[in-house]
Amino acid sequence: MRKAALRMPVLLAVAAALGVTGWWLYRGARPMDLALYVHPFVGPEPLVLNESRYPNPGGEGRFTVRDFQFFLSNIRLVSATGAYVESDSYHLVRFDGEEPAAVIVLHDVPRRDYERIEFGIGVDAAANRSLASRGDLDPNGRMAWTWEVGYKFVLLEGALLRGDVSEPLVYHVGFDESYRLISTDLRGESLDSRPARLDFRVDILRLFQGSTTVDMAALPTVKFDRADAALLARNFAGLVTPMWPDASGQPDGARRADK
Amino acid sequence: MATGGCDERQRVATPLTGFSAPFVFGRFEVPADNPLTEEAVELGRRLFYDPRLSAAGTTSCSTCHIQRLAFTDGRTTSVGVSGRPLAFNSMTLANLMWGPQRFFWNGRAASLEEQALIPIQHADEMAQDLGRLVAELAADASYRELFETAYGETSPAAIARALASFLRTLVSSNSRYDQFLRGEIALDAQEESGRKLFMAHPDVKVSLRGANCIDCHSQFLTGGFSARYDGFANNGLDDEEHLQPGLQVVTGNPAHRGLFKVPSLRNVALTAPYMHDGRFRTLEEVLDHYDRGVRNSSTLSPLIVEADNRGGPAGGRISLHLTAGEKAAIIAFLHTLTDQDFVTAGRFSDPFASK
Repeated sequence: MRKAALRMPVLLAVAAALGVTGWWLYRGARPMDLALYVHPFVGPEPLVLNESRYPNPGGEGRFTVRDFQFFLSNIRLVSATGAYVESDSYHLVRFDGEEPAAVIVLHDVPRRDYERIEFGIGVDAAANRSLASRGDLDPNGRMAWTWEVGYKFVLLEGALLRGDVSEPLVYHVGFDESYRLISTDLRGESLDSRPARLDFRVDILRLFQGSTTVDMAALPTVKFDRADAALLARNFAGLVTPMWPDASGQPDGARRADK
Repeated sequence: MATGGCDERQRVATPLTGFSAPFVFGRFEVPADNPLTEEAVELGRRLFYDPRLSAAGTTSCSTCHIQRLAFTDGRTTSVGVSGRPLAFNSMTLANLMWGPQRFFWNGRAASLEEQALIPIQHADEMAQDLGRLVAELAADASYRELFETAYGETSPAAIARALASFLRTLVSSNSRYDQFLRGEIALDAQEESGRKLFMAHPDVKVSLRGANCIDCHSQFLTGGFSARYDGFANNGLDDEEHLQPGLQVVTGNPAHRGLFKVPSLRNVALTAPYMHDGRFRTLEEVLDHYDRGVRNSSTLSPLIVEADNRGGPAGGRISLHLTAGEKAAIIAFLHTLTDQDFVTAGRFSDPFASK
C-alpha cells in the first residue's frame, strides 16, 4: 500500500513532464502565423493623412499626404536549413487612416532560426507584365497603369502648400527597373513570441532623400519619365526598415556604406 | 412557412452552369450563402420585371432599368410610384460583380442583397410593404414553386437573394472593345486614338497626351476600382460650397464628401443622361466637363487637378487642354463599349412580355 502511495506522485510527475515536453515538441513542429506590421512615418512623425504638417524635404512649403500605398512583394524567410517562400506574394500596403499600421500575415511559416527576411518594393518584371490577379495585383485596380506599362509600385498623392498656393503632388513610381529587393537580418530576433510579429517602418521622406534631396516644388510629379522614376526608385532600398532594436538590415548597411 | 404543392420531396436548386466572364475582368465572388442557381436567377428575373413589387402594381425594377438602355431609364433622375423625381440618375446594371462592392451612387448598400430591398420599400420608388409582397407572391403557385426550390421559403431575404442573383448574371462582355481585347477585331484609327487617350494620364515631360479617364475607370472593366473605397470619386462637378455629401453619408469621413460611385462605362453611349444627378445630356457635355468644366474643392483628387496636356502652372485653371479631335476620338472609343448582345439578350429580357 505504501509503495503504491509513493508511486502515484511519481507517475503523475512523469506524465506531467511528458505532457509538457510533448506540448513543446508539438508547438515547435507546428507552423506559425507571422504578422508583418508596417508603420507609416514622415521622417520622425507618424503619417497623418490630409494634414499639412510635413516640411518639403528639399525646399519651401509644407506638404499633405492624401494617399500613400505601395507593393511589397515576394516575401522570403531564409534559414540555414531552408527558406519559407510565400506564394502569390504581392501585397498592396496601403494607409487609409483607419488603422495605425498595415498588416501582412504570413501563414504556415515553419518554426526555424531564420537568418533574414527578404522582400521586394514594387512588382517583379514577370508579374508586372502579367494580367493575372495574383495576391493584391489587380489589372483593374487603382495601382494598374495599363497593360502596356504595368503597375505603379509606389503611389503618393497629395499637395504642396506654399503661402496661399496649393499645388497637386502626384508621385507614381513604376517600371520594371524600379523593382528593389530588400534584405533584413533576423539573427537574434525571436519569432517565437505569440503572436509572432515583425515591425517595420516605412518613411515617406526616404523617397525624397537619396544622393540628392528632392524639392517637391521643382519636382511635383513623377509619372512616366524614366529618369524621374529612377531618381525616387533608387531610394526604395531605404524606404522600409526594421523597427526592432539592433536591427542591421541591408538598408542600414547601405546607408553606412554611403558615409 | 407552409410548403406548397403536392411534391413531398425536398426540391434542390440547380447550380448555374456555363456562367463565365472574361479573364481580364479578374476575380469575382458570389456569396457562399447565395450561390447562383438556375431557379434563383429565373426567380430574380421574374421579380425584376414584376410590377407587383410596387404598392400600386405599376412599377417594377425594369421601369427605371430598361434593358435596351443598358438598364438605365434615359431620365435625368428616375421617377417611381410617387411621381416625385428621385435624387439620383438610374445607374447601369452591367458587370456588378466587379468594381466597387458597395451599391447606389453614395455606396449606402454593402451588398446586392441589401440593395435589392431598398427601392421596393422606398416611398418614392415602389412604396411596397415587404410583408404584403411576400403574401402576394406566396399566393401565386408558380412563384411559390420557384421560391421553394431556390430558397426553401418565400421571404424578404429570398426576394433579395433572387434579385441579387439575377443582377449578378448581367454581364456585358461582347462589345467591340471586348472583341478587340480578345484579338478578334482591330479598332479603327479614331477609336484606337481615343482608347489611348482614355488609358493615359497626361505627362508633358514624355509627350504623353491623355484624358486621365483610367485614373477612375479601370482599363478592362471601365468601371470603378473594387478595393476599399477606391471606386468612389469626386469628379469636380461642384465647388466647395455646393459639394453634396456623397460617400460621407456612409463613412462619416469628411475626406469622402462629394465622392460618388464611379460607374461602369460599358454601354455608355446608351446610358444618357450622365453623372449621379443626370446633369449632362450628351457625351460631348461630359467630355467638355472633364476638359475644362472641373470645379475645385477640398476633396478633388490631385490626379484631376494635375492632369493637363499643356502642363499648366501651379494654381492655374484646371483643364485637360484636349483638342476637339481628341474629344471626338474618346467619344468614338466610348461607342466601342456598346454591347448589342447585352441590350437584346433574351435571358435578360422581360419574361412576362408576349412573345
